[in-house]
Amino acid sequence: MGVVERLSRLDRRYIFLAVAIAVTLPIFFPIGLPIEVTAPVKQLYDVIEDLPERAVVLISIDYDPSGAPELQPATLAILRHCFKRNLRVLVLGMWAPGVPLGMKALEEIAENEFHRQYGIDYVNFGYRPGGAIFLINLGRDVHDVCRTDVYGTPVEDLPMMDDVHSASDIALVISMSMGVPGSDQWIWYYHARYRGKLATAQTAIGAPRYYPYLQTGQLIGLIGGMKGAAEYERLVQTRGLATIGMDSQSAAHMLIIGFVILGNFIFWMQKRKR
Amino acid sequence: MLMTSGPWVWIAAMLTLAIYSFLYKDNPFYKIAEYIFVGISAGYWAIFLWWNYAYPNLFEPLAKGNYLNIIPIGLGLMMFTQLFRRTAWLVRFPLTFVLGVSLGLQIVAAVEGDMVPQLRGTFSPFSRGVLFGTADFWTSIGYIVLLVGVLSTLIYFFFSKEHKGFLGAGARIGIYFLMIAFGASFGYTVMARISLLFGRLHFLFSDWLHVIK
Amino acid sequence: MRLQIPLTIILVMGIFTLVTSFIPAKPIADVNQMFRNWYIGIITFFIFLGTFNLARSNAEKIKKQGRDWQYSIILLAFLGIMLFFGFYRGRASTEEGQPFMYLYFNVQFPLESTMYSLLAFFVTSASFRAFRARNKEALCLLLAAVVIMLGRVPVGTAIWKGFPTVTEWIMNYPNAAAKRGIRLGIDLGLISMALRMILGIERSYMQ
Repeated sequence: MGVVERLSRLDRRYIFLAVAIAVTLPIFFPIGLPIEVTAPVKQLYDVIEDLPERAVVLISIDYDPSGAPELQPATLAILRHCFKRNLRVLVLGMWAPGVPLGMKALEEIAENEFHRQYGIDYVNFGYRPGGAIFLINLGRDVHDVCRTDVYGTPVEDLPMMDDVHSASDIALVISMSMGVPGSDQWIWYYHARYRGKLATAQTAIGAPRYYPYLQTGQLIGLIGGMKGAAEYERLVQTRGLATIGMDSQSAAHMLIIGFVILGNFIFWMQKRKR
Repeated sequence: MLMTSGPWVWIAAMLTLAIYSFLYKDNPFYKIAEYIFVGISAGYWAIFLWWNYAYPNLFEPLAKGNYLNIIPIGLGLMMFTQLFRRTAWLVRFPLTFVLGVSLGLQIVAAVEGDMVPQLRGTFSPFSRGVLFGTADFWTSIGYIVLLVGVLSTLIYFFFSKEHKGFLGAGARIGIYFLMIAFGASFGYTVMARISLLFGRLHFLFSDWLHVIK
Repeated sequence: MRLQIPLTIILVMGIFTLVTSFIPAKPIADVNQMFRNWYIGIITFFIFLGTFNLARSNAEKIKKQGRDWQYSIILLAFLGIMLFFGFYRGRASTEEGQPFMYLYFNVQFPLESTMYSLLAFFVTSASFRAFRARNKEALCLLLAAVVIMLGRVPVGTAIWKGFPTVTEWIMNYPNAAAKRGIRLGIDLGLISMALRMILGIERSYMQ
């Protein structure tokens, strides 16, 4: 059996091993290649920069643990930016398994890093079911669909919510999304009715679908996957998990491109032989 | 503190390794982890749904005298009638209510939130003074590509007439646009999966083994 | 009664929601808001039903000692543990520092994220075995994928500074064009299906 034949029958476990090595090595030996910031990420950053102090930013945690490696770093970076700019943050989510991730992000950034006060500078309404239908009601009457926060506190007892009643009181919505319900619903059901500024952070799988909405202005910014999060980390000058992950990402991409070329070379050789 | 160290990290690490053991071959450790995942996720959803919505929005107000809540609760409980053959047809009441509301809104959303702005976005760059005017060279080329791409993709999916002549040419161009989009999606999918793997490996090396900071 | 009432409900609710979506006047908008709140209330029971069904089917599997029934015991045990720790201190059960949260972060979180990360291995294996330039269309797909993979990581920029710009252009125009075309097609399909269901022409969901 020739080399080409043997390669074509390569046990896939060797490929698995190669992937594991490609992702692991840069964790121990980082290269630290510079991260280029793309326009859709910069646009969101600029919008947050231009918001007036104490404006309300709604962050919708529409992801679960499987989206966390990509979206949690983006959530942290955005929260950091919001609190640095002295904005108020309203967190909620349409995915139940995302609630603790939102709590953890707020604990890390709002409480520990910026020492902001719960109920005054930020609130967390936790999981809100209903998807699209919930969003329509939210835009019309926030208090009606968010009667208690994630800890069971009535909305009337949260001073921050005194002047947040409807979509017009929310300066910017950022949907951190990995599927349905998520950014689609925010665009079609919320933005179409109430307008305002809407941006999204997507897992890389979802990101390509949202470029049409950037062009129409329905979205004012797009953070795509871990790379997008790394770009935002660069903009807010922090070295988070996304930035650290970029070297592994680079190595793995090169490996996969190598496998694509090798696979096609084998295919071409076998075709020529026939 | 939400994240912990000690035995909990060991549990998390062992479960991570149990899942990865599938890469060698299917085995009981993987199966155990898989079933734990299903059980724990189902419990999690039910609990969060109860404490975050059902209790404060449905049952608590009902207890305080908002008797109108009997309607959604009653319709919701009707869902359980499908467990018995004789009463299974009752499930049609909540189902049609939910479908009616969501379908009506879906039509509005598809037109108002998607079709109109998307079509406007395709054609608006062709208004006077935009192409090669306010838009630079590559953006202008992009707008032309966008229009050709949208139309040819739509032609490709138009099956009411045979793809011959103009339609045939349009459909062929459409295929290339679709291929580029699928290629882009594949590239992004690779990105996503590698990110997840990095996340898990980083956890194993930092939180569990402490070999990196 | 078994057919006519449900068909009337979907017709009335569908038409009412559709038409009144454009009426922001208070009494009608308030009624709409109430219906939508009812909708959310009802769908919460869908998930309760799903949980109940999961428990029931696994209990039956154990009873009948069906294939892999031993694993169903584990599933039920963890479902029970989660429900117990979710209720045992009332609403406070889901707060920080509670067993419920420890179980989430140290059992559910690693399991879910690891499960999906397995696909990193399979996608690489598929790239090697199935990603072949068999014809011009496939070559086009392959080239787009390679450019995007390079344009979206720092090493791509190190190889050629133009990769991010080219990638961004591809994403903004050819990619957006195809995605928009697909989406418009889906929208047309959704609208026609929604109308068929509201008008009672499509009834398969009732079976």
